This record gives sequence, structure tokens and C-alpha cells, in this order.
Amino acid sequence: MSELTLERGLAAFRAEIDAPTAAFFSSCVHCGLCAQSCPFYLETGDPKYTPILKLEPLRRVWENEFTLWGRIKGLLGLQKKVTDAMLAEWEELLYDSCSMCGRCSMVCPVGNDLAYMIRKTREGMVQSGHAPEGLVSASVRAITTGSPMGLQWKTLAVQIQHVESSSGLTVPVDQEGAEYLVLLSSMEVINFPEYLEAITRIFDHAGVTWTLSTQCFEATNAGIQIGNKDIAAQLVERVVAAAETLRVPKVISPECGHAYTAIRWEGPNLIGRPYSFRVFHIVEVLDELRAAGRIRTEGKEGDRLSMHDPCNLARKSGVIQQQRNLMALVAENFVDLKEHGKYQWCCGAGGGVSSNERAEALKMTAFKRKKAQIEEVAPERMVTMCATCRTQLEEGLETFNMEIPVVGLTEMIAEHLVERD
Amino acid sequence: MRKRPDKTLGESLRDHGLSRRGFLKLCATTASLMALPPSLAPAIAAALEQARRPSVIWLSFQECTGCTESLTRSHAPTLEDLIFDFISLDYHHTLQAASGEAAEAARFQAMEENKGQYLVIVDGSIPGPDANPGFSTVAGHSNYDILMETVEHAAAVIAVGTCAAFGGLPQARPNPTGAMSVMDLVRDKPVINVPGCPPIPMVITGVVAHYLVFGRLPELDAYHRPLAFYGQSIHDRCYRRPFYDKGLFAERFDDEGARQGWCLYRLGCKGPTTYNACATMKWNDGTSWPIEAGHPCLGCSEPKFWDAGGFYEPVSVPLTLGPTTLLGAGAAGGVIGGGLAAMARKQVKQDAATRQPVTVDELEQKL
Repeated sequence: MSELTLERGLAAFRAEIDAPTAAFFSSCVHCGLCAQSCPFYLETGDPKYTPILKLEPLRRVWENEFTLWGRIKGLLGLQKKVTDAMLAEWEELLYDSCSMCGRCSMVCPVGNDLAYMIRKTREGMVQSGHAPEGLVSASVRAITTGSPMGLQWKTLAVQIQHVESSSGLTVPVDQEGAEYLVLLSSMEVINFPEYLEAITRIFDHAGVTWTLSTQCFEATNAGIQIGNKDIAAQLVERVVAAAETLRVPKVISPECGHAYTAIRWEGPNLIGRPYSFRVFHIVEVLDELRAAGRIRTEGKEGDRLSMHDPCNLARKSGVIQQQRNLMALVAENFVDLKEHGKYQWCCGAGGGVSSNERAEALKMTAFKRKKAQIEEVAPERMVTMCATCRTQLEEGLETFNMEIPVVGLTEMIAEHLVERD
Repeated sequence: MRKRPDKTLGESLRDHGLSRRGFLKLCATTASLMALPPSLAPAIAAALEQARRPSVIWLSFQECTGCTESLTRSHAPTLEDLIFDFISLDYHHTLQAASGEAAEAARFQAMEENKGQYLVIVDGSIPGPDANPGFSTVAGHSNYDILMETVEHAAAVIAVGTCAAFGGLPQARPNPTGAMSVMDLVRDKPVINVPGCPPIPMVITGVVAHYLVFGRLPELDAYHRPLAFYGQSIHDRCYRRPFYDKGLFAERFDDEGARQGWCLYRLGCKGPTTYNACATMKWNDGTSWPIEAGHPCLGCSEPKFWDAGGFYEPVSVPLTLGPTTLLGAGAAGGVIGGGLAAMARKQVKQDAATRQPVTVDELEQKL
């Protein structure tokens, strides 16, 4: 029976080293600005959390095997090899202390995309058997049960019933030829069922045809989090199969950050062919409906609201203005955090950190950066559009005894819809 | 009639019909011009209100009058007029009404009455002390003698234009007149250089205004240029910079890249090594500037810009190496780099081809 070994890990590192990676490593000027952009380094003050250092295993393979100096060093016996012990040590750096928020990629003065390389380095970590237990079990569950939390359709069916009885509307399931296929994240199904009710109301209000699919309802992708393209591709294939079966032209990724980047950006590359449909984040869809005048709202929230931009959405995908347009529709006292949009600070839980129980303490430490940002503008409530961010904000604010409730943007829109006669 | 520096600026401006509001607006403009925080505008107002209009003597030597032409094409409509009311311009070949002996007498009178307090502005380079004094004379005296005589009791000297600041065109090889810059000759007085061929008019007036407001010289760089205007390179503030970053260059003046407005670096733009304010202040009332008009920056505010290689040769190609050496080194590098790259590519391909997919079973073993 085959197993995950160091050799497979090293081969994966080699296979992942492409022209951008080589260019990035050779152009690093060791300025340390990436450290100044990383909440894990800033809040702990521990230099081992400097983003570029987290890439050391990949960098060593590059230097040893892809550069002239590395080869000369090899002849002289001066190479520093990548060993199992090293990878074991780096596991914490690559998983527990990196939410792949990509802020380091933004600030790097020579343009090195560090988050891109973290993603690549994780490929080698998985192949060498050095991924954290929490993410390994989430990946196994995602493949075997269809959901990283082990959730089944029957749980969702119960939630659907609740939504239908409380809204008096029907939640369409397996409707062929609908305009949108709606995906959910397990986290939403369990923790935030308000989301499903909200889109049911909004789509009914706007006259949008949509459907859930019993074949695949899960949008999240544990393969992206752990950093393995085989797992990730299988999960994307499920979404593609469901969308093709129902012949939908558009697929909606839910209020979840990585699910969106997984399906929208990595997906077609993972499966090696283009989609027959287009992918949107729910916030993009809502803003399109707003612009087309299909969402009519009444009343506005009067309290002081601020917003957390999920990294995957704002920094990595450029969805920044849409959520602000929507806020303007329903809030009269909205104030942005000082650094927002593409330069926002991560909540500390993304990139698989929240599925990795071992990282709990570190995750809360990293949250302090967000906390300081929130304290600066002192809102009465926070709004966000990612279930992972939302959970982290709720937990974090509670840990620090800050009474600031967190709301999902979609729900807030649904609450202000003009009632039909 | 020559204005006598006996009124304060505030009085003088009011005599010219400038309202209090207009005056404060001017102060705010001056603050922004000198890259000072707007909160300083009241301080500027107070300082200007009280300041005595200093006497200014403008000396023109080996020059083309382009700097004066620039100055008269004022950027903000009223500002330069006001600056002329700020100062008492007692001697200026092009602008003064007097001529002949009356003109020279005016210079001597100004020097006598304002001993130790007057400003000297110089445009044009000067044939040095060892050169033939006859190369450039005014009223029968050599430029060198006039300069030395005039700066002796000056408070400070402002060298306007690249010729005065760095020698400029007259000093370009082979420098037939032995031209020297003001900085080369005046050692015991503060010298501010305002280079450019010509300098931006607002920069000339901004430096004078700074001196009036603060009673001292602005902060200078290594070439004695005021940092407020010469602190950033053209390249760093250029609106075509995104094309440079993307590697999109015009290769010829009539190609598609030129029409698309791409970066002019390969057409010889000296923006990366030139420090000046053109990219932000622009020319002709903020209308445009050379790069916006489609021409590479010549680097006119830098020392020795006439001798710094051809205007149309890109900056980073070292001019001391011949094309053969360059080609040879390039080819050798290419072969080595190409060999390594090919080896690396083969390795990546091999590893990608023999890649074992990760399975759930394998993952489960780790739990």
C-alpha cells in the first residue's frame, strides 16, 4: 500500500517550482516587509512567522536543484537539505501561522506573490505527510461524505423545511434549467441557517430562478485549504457535475471566502478544462440585482456599522465595491475600517487555520490585529460575507469581551426587502 | 521707476488692490507649492505680511533668455505678478526699463542700499577665471568680474537654469569658453540651484517665496536643489509608469506602442535618473509636459545632461561598453542560463509526469 513520504514531498516541491516561483525567490531582497504585513508575526513578535521564512522548504529545493550556486554548493557538500525533521518543524509555520490572506503578496516591494508559493509549498507538505490532523480529517470527510464537517443532505433537508415554514416560500431543489445553482458551506448550514432563508427571500423578491442540487451542495474545498490538487480537483468536479446535470448557466458561491477562490479561480485549472457556466460570489449577484433595480428595499439600519472584507473576496478577487453598494442600500451610518478593501487585515482564521484545532491559540492572537482595527472605529455591529470570518469575529470579539454582534450582509439585505402585496 | 524696498509686503500688496481673501489664497497656494502642510498658510500669511520686499539683482550671463521666458509664462495667473511685487527686482536685462549706464547704476545703488541683504539670481554660465574674459561681457566687464562683485555682499545666490546651476550647454564638451557654474565659483555664500532647461516657472517663484516666508533657504539635496521640487524622480511620478511596470514600451515614435501611450524608456527617456517636478506640476498652466506630449524626458535638470549620451539612448545601457562586448556577454549568459533553465524544465516535467496523486487512504494513514 502506498504511503506519503519525504521523497514524494520533494518531488512535489520540484514539480511546483515554476518560472514565477524561481523569479520570486531570486528577486527577494530580504527587506522584511512581508513580516510587517503578517498578523501572525505582528501579534506574536516572533520572527519565525516572517512569511518568506515559511517558504524555506520550497526555497531550499529551488536553490539546491535549480540554481548554479546551489549545484556548486552541492559539489562541495555545502547544501542544506530538506529533511523530514525540517518539514515537521515547518508544518506549524505553513499551516498554523498562515491564513493565506495574501497581504504579504500585496506589500512585497519586488512583487513576490508569497501566498501563491505557500499554496505550492503545501502541496509538498501533503505529499510528505506533514499536514495538520484537522485538515487531513476535513479532507477525508469532504471526499467520503461530501462535506468537510461530515454534513449530509438530510441535515440540509431539515434546514430547508425550517426555511420553508418560516418564509412561506419554496426552496427549489434539483430544478433543471434554473438560472443559478446555489452552493452552500457546511458552516452556514449548521451555524448560519439565516443565510439560506435570506437568499430564498431575496431571489423570490427579485424573481430569480435558482436551485439547490442534491448531487452537490457543498461549496467549500478542503483540498485547497490543505494544499492538494487531487483532493481539490475531485471536489471541484462535483460542483461541475451538478451544474452540468442541472444545465445552469451560473453558479453562486456562498458567503465563504476560499470556496469562491477555489471554484472561481483555481477550479478550471485544477480540472484542466473550461466551465460551461460562470461563477459568482453571492455579493456580486446581489449587487447586479441591485444595479438592475430588482432589489427594492425600505428602511435603513440606524446603528454604526462597519465591515470586514474577507481576504479571498477583496484582496484576492477584487470584490470590494459591491458590498459597499449593498451597504449603502440598507445602512445610513456605515463607516469603513481604516484599512479595508485590498489592504484589509485578515481575521486570522482563513487558509485552513480554523479547521486546525492545534492552531486555536495562535488564531486568537492573530485576531488582535482585527480587534485593534475594530476598536479604532468603534462600530455597534460588524458586517461580513464569509462564514469563516464571521465565526472568527464572533469568537474573537467574545474572547475579548467586546459586545459587537456580527451580521451576514445577505441577511441584512433580506431584512429590508419591500414586502409584496 | 524702480520700486524701493521700503513698504512691507502686506502694504505693497494692498496698494496693488489685492484683497485679504486673495492674499490668503495666495499663501495657501504658496504652501502647497512648497510641499508644506496647509496649516502653515496662516504662518506664511503672517510672515509675508511683515516681510520687507528684498532687493533682487538678476544677472544674465552665457544664456539664451529661456529661463526668463519660462518665468514670464506664469503658471498660476496672478502668482508671478505678485512675486514680482514681493521682491524689488532692481536689475534684470530683459525686464528692466533702464539701459546703458542707468541700468548699471541701478545695480550699484541696489547693492549699496541693501548691503548683505539682497538676493542675486543668476541665469547662464560664466567663463571661468582662467578663460578669456572677452568671451562674454556686460558693459565692458567680464561675467566673472560682475558675478564676484555682485555676490560679495549678497545674502544668497539662486542659480536659475541648468547653465547657471551646472554649466549647461556652454559647458558641454568641448566647453570652448571654459564655462563654469555659479556653484563652482561662489564658495562663501549659500547657493540654491534651480536647474532645468528651463526650470518650471513655479519652481523659480516657489524658491523665492520660501526664502521670503522663512527667511532661510529651503532644504536642499546633494546638488543644492530644493527637495520640495527635486525630491522625486520623473519616473516615480510619471503617469506612464504602469506601462513600464508591465513591460510595455514604445520602440519607435510611430509604432503602435507610441500611439497607445506606452512607456518611452526605450526611446531614451531619462525619467528614471532625473529629479524634477514636471510630472506633477506640468507646464503651460498645467496643460502638459514633455512625456505627456509623447517625447522622452531629456533629463535637463541633471548635471552634464548634454554629455550624458544620446537623447534617444535608453539610460541603463552602459555607454562605456561596446555593442560587441555586450552581445558577447549576453550570448554567454544566455547559453549558461538557457542550459540551466533547460535542465530545470526537464526536472520539473519529469516530476510532474511521475507525480503520484494523493488518495484518501494515504491521508487516513496519517490520522
